[in-house]
Amino acid sequence: MVSMANQRSPGDKLTELSASLSLVANNRDKEAFARLFDHYAPLIRAYSLAREPGADLVADELVQEVMTRVWLKADKYNDRLANLNTWIFTLARNCRIDYLRRNSRYLTEIDPTDIFNEIEDDGPGPFQQVQQSRAEESIRAGLKQLPREQAEILTKVYLEGKSHQQASNELKLPLGTVKSRVRLALKKLEVLVVR
Amino acid sequence: MNNANKHPEDELLAAYSAASLPLSQALCISIHLERCPDCGRKLQRLNRVGSELMQQLKPAPAADELKNRLLDRLDSLSEENSEQAHPLPDSTVPRCLQQFVHGNYDDLPWRRVSADIRSVELCRDSNGARVELLKIKPGGSAITHTHLGDEYTVILEGSFSDEAGLYGEGDFLLRGKHDKHTPVASLHRECLCLAVTEGPIQFTGFFSRLMNPFIRRSYA
Repeated sequence: MVSMANQRSPGDKLTELSASLSLVANNRDKEAFARLFDHYAPLIRAYSLAREPGADLVADELVQEVMTRVWLKADKYNDRLANLNTWIFTLARNCRIDYLRRNSRYLTEIDPTDIFNEIEDDGPGPFQQVQQSRAEESIRAGLKQLPREQAEILTKVYLEGKSHQQASNELKLPLGTVKSRVRLALKKLEVLVVR
Repeated sequence: MNNANKHPEDELLAAYSAASLPLSQALCISIHLERCPDCGRKLQRLNRVGSELMQQLKPAPAADELKNRLLDRLDSLSEENSEQAHPLPDSTVPRCLQQFVHGNYDDLPWRRVSADIRSVELCRDSNGARVELLKIKPGGSAITHTHLGDEYTVILEGSFSDEAGLYGEGDFLLRGKHDKHTPVASLHRECLCLAVTEGPIQFTGFFSRLMNPFIRRSYA
C-alpha cells in the first residue's frame, strides 16, 4: 500500500472500506456490510439514474443486486487485481446490463453474463496487477482537467451507457468525432500507456 | 503463449469497459481479451476510469428501508445464488461463446456458402447484426466483398491474410463500410473465425455481384 500523506484523502476512505470488505469476507460481519452499503448504495443508485433518470425503483433494484453480490462474493475479491471502487464499478456495470436484458430492453439472445467478466481471483491469471495507486491518482487528477466536450463524452459512454452511435445521434456529431474525442480523453488520462 | 497481435482500438475497448456497446461487438472483444494480456491490462485501467467517474457522481441516497430489508435477508442468501454457468473444463471454445457452442464446433449445423467457406449463424443482435462462425478451407478464399456496415472478426483457430496483413488466433479485425477485402486462409490448416456483420455484405466480383440482391433479401 502506498501511504498517503494527506489526512482524509480518497485513499484513506478506500482503505477503511477495504477493511470493511475483509471483515465481510472473513467474519461475515453485518455491521461492516452496512458501512459498505452506506457508502456505495448512493453511488450505485446515481449510476443507475444516470442511465434511466427518474427510475427510482430500478435504481433500488440495482443496489440490491450489486450489494447482494458484494455479500456473496466478498471472498473472491482480491485487491491486487483491482481496487474496491473498481470492483464495485464492474459489479454495477454487469448487474445493470443483466437487468436491462432480463427486462428485454435488448431484443437479442446474447447473454452478457460470460461476456463481461467479473474481476475474480481465479489464481494467477494472465492479467496481473499494474502499479495501481499511482495510476488512480493520475486518472482522478486527469478527469478534473479534461476539456468539457471530452468529459461529456466519457460520461455518456461510461455512466449513461450510450454506444458511440447513440452518443453521435444525441450530440449531433459525426461518429468519427465521437470516437476521436474518446481517444483524446483516454490519451490525456494516460490510461493507455502500457508501463 | 500466442499473444494476439491485432487489437481492438482503444475507444472500442473503452466502450467494452463501459458495457455500452452492442453485445455482439462485446462478444468479439471478450474472445480477444481471453487471449490478449496486453489488452487485458489496458482494460484494467479503463475500468478504473469508469470507477473514478462513478465516484464523482452526485450520490443519490438510498432509503433506510432498502438497507434494512437487505440486511434481514443476508443469512438466507448464501447458498441459492450461484447462477454463473461453469465453463466447460477442457473446451477450446472461448468461455463467452459456450452459450452458443455447447460441445464441439463440428457438431454445429454448418451450411455451405461457397466451395471454400462454411458458415453457421449463431444469433442476431438487437441492432440487427448477424453473429456467425465461418470456416475457411486451408488455402481457401472468401469472395472479395465490401460492407454496408461494419464487420468485426476475431480468429478462433488457424490464420488468414488479406490485403492488409496476416492474422492469427485471437486477432481482432474491424472492417468498415468502404473497406474491400479478400480474406485467404493459410495453407496448412482451416481457419475458424467469429464474424459480426452489421449490414449485408456486398460482393464485388462480376459474377458474385449477381448474388447481391439475394443476399440482401435474406437480411430483411
